[in-house]
Amino acid sequence: MSKDYQLRAAINQKLIEMGERERLKELLRAKLVECGWKDQLKAHCKDVIREKGLDHVTVEDLVTDVTPKGRGSARLKHNSRGVSVCVCVSVSTLCLLFSPLQLSYRTA
Amino acid sequence: MKMEEMRLSGPDNTKLEALMQDIYSELVEDACLGLCFEVHRAVKQGYFFLDETDQESMKEFEIVDQPGVDIFGQVFNQWKNKECECPNCRRLIAASRFAPHLEKCLGMGRNSSRIASRRLASNNNMSKSESDQEDNDDVNDNDWSYGAEKKAKKRKSDKNQNSPRRSKSLKHKNGELGSSIASESYKYNYNTGISYESLGPDEVRSLLTTQCGVISEHTKKMCTRSQRCPQHTDEQRRTVRVFLLGPSAPALPDAELESSSFDIPDGPSLMSRLQWEDSSDISPADSASSKASANHSDSRRPKKKKRPALGLSSAGGSGGLAEGGGGMGGSQSNLSLMTKKKKPKISAAFISSIYDDMN
Repeated sequence: MSKDYQLRAAINQKLIEMGERERLKELLRAKLVECGWKDQLKAHCKDVIREKGLDHVTVEDLVTDVTPKGRGSARLKHNSRGVSVCVCVSVSTLCLLFSPLQLSYRTA
Repeated sequence: MKMEEMRLSGPDNTKLEALMQDIYSELVEDACLGLCFEVHRAVKQGYFFLDETDQESMKEFEIVDQPGVDIFGQVFNQWKNKECECPNCRRLIAASRFAPHLEKCLGMGRNSSRIASRRLASNNNMSKSESDQEDNDDVNDNDWSYGAEKKAKKRKSDKNQNSPRRSKSLKHKNGELGSSIASESYKYNYNTGISYESLGPDEVRSLLTTQCGVISEHTKKMCTRSQRCPQHTDEQRRTVRVFLLGPSAPALPDAELESSSFDIPDGPSLMSRLQWEDSSDISPADSASSKASANHSDSRRPKKKKRPALGLSSAGGSGGLAEGGGGMGGSQSNLSLMTKKKKPKISAAFISSIYDDMN
């Protein structure tokens, strides 16, 4: 399990180092705006804020309310699936880069 | 790609998938968090609900789509025939003509300022009486000195001979001339142009051979243009040369070259320069009387018959007066003396009197 964790940490770090993570994030954001995910979530935010009152809104409230919905709808959006494919590709190439680690992981 | 991936990762396919999903959800959460921050900031800054409008106002500001009406439901050419009230003259003026009118009415333009000031003066009673006063002042200025008045009368009688333009300019200058005498403006300005007083006789002569040299009544400076300058007449040029170089000096620039070896003109001018200190306090009345006497005698004759008088004056100064031949010669020498005495204080009146004599 520690090896798993090690691999994930290594890959994450490599993604950040290469700037791949930023690129992916930007791509995902663009795709989500494109398919209306953002507007949808914004409308939801509006409802939440109206419910709580304009002065009593905190970031935590928004995050807890919005993130599950956002995650669920992002999964449904056809457009954002392209991003997941991209993520898949970049992660798998990284896995190839970390082949010695993977080998050791496999042998273990 | 997928095949390759599967082949390479082999048994770790599910783990890789899980890893991938983790990263993907992380990215999605990042986006969600970004959105949350954005919304929260908008709420706290107070611009989150700005784009929201209720149904009523939406209806009120609905875009109107009808012929002859703009999108706000207004007739779009209603401003075409709008009339504005001029704040100055209280008249209603079409909006398109308002700016030009205002310019004229308030007097911002080149010509319109004069018109406007006149109109203002006629409109305002107070200013009217004031302007009348000014007119009287002008008349007084004209009449201030005897000579000036006389000249004005004389000019009226001569009007047929003068071209309208010339007579007008002279008349205009006459008014200023009176005031300049009244205000004791005896100090000459040496800042611009050529002051003939500051020049020696040789300099004056060399100047007059190359330049027009007519002394302006207004600035009392010599004209620095060529000898053919259109602003001044040959008559004026001749008069100035007689005045500055002495009566025997040829008046026209063409003849000037012949007299370059002639020494006599230097005599009177040199003498007059020596006499400057003595006759420094000539009162305006004096100048007026001298002008009067100058007006009495014909200027043509002194020019031709100046030779003997000149010799006398150069020989004995004022003593030459007594020996000055007949009555006519005496008056001429008197004139020449006067001319010399006047030299340091050559006033515009005197110059204009010379011009008058020529007419």
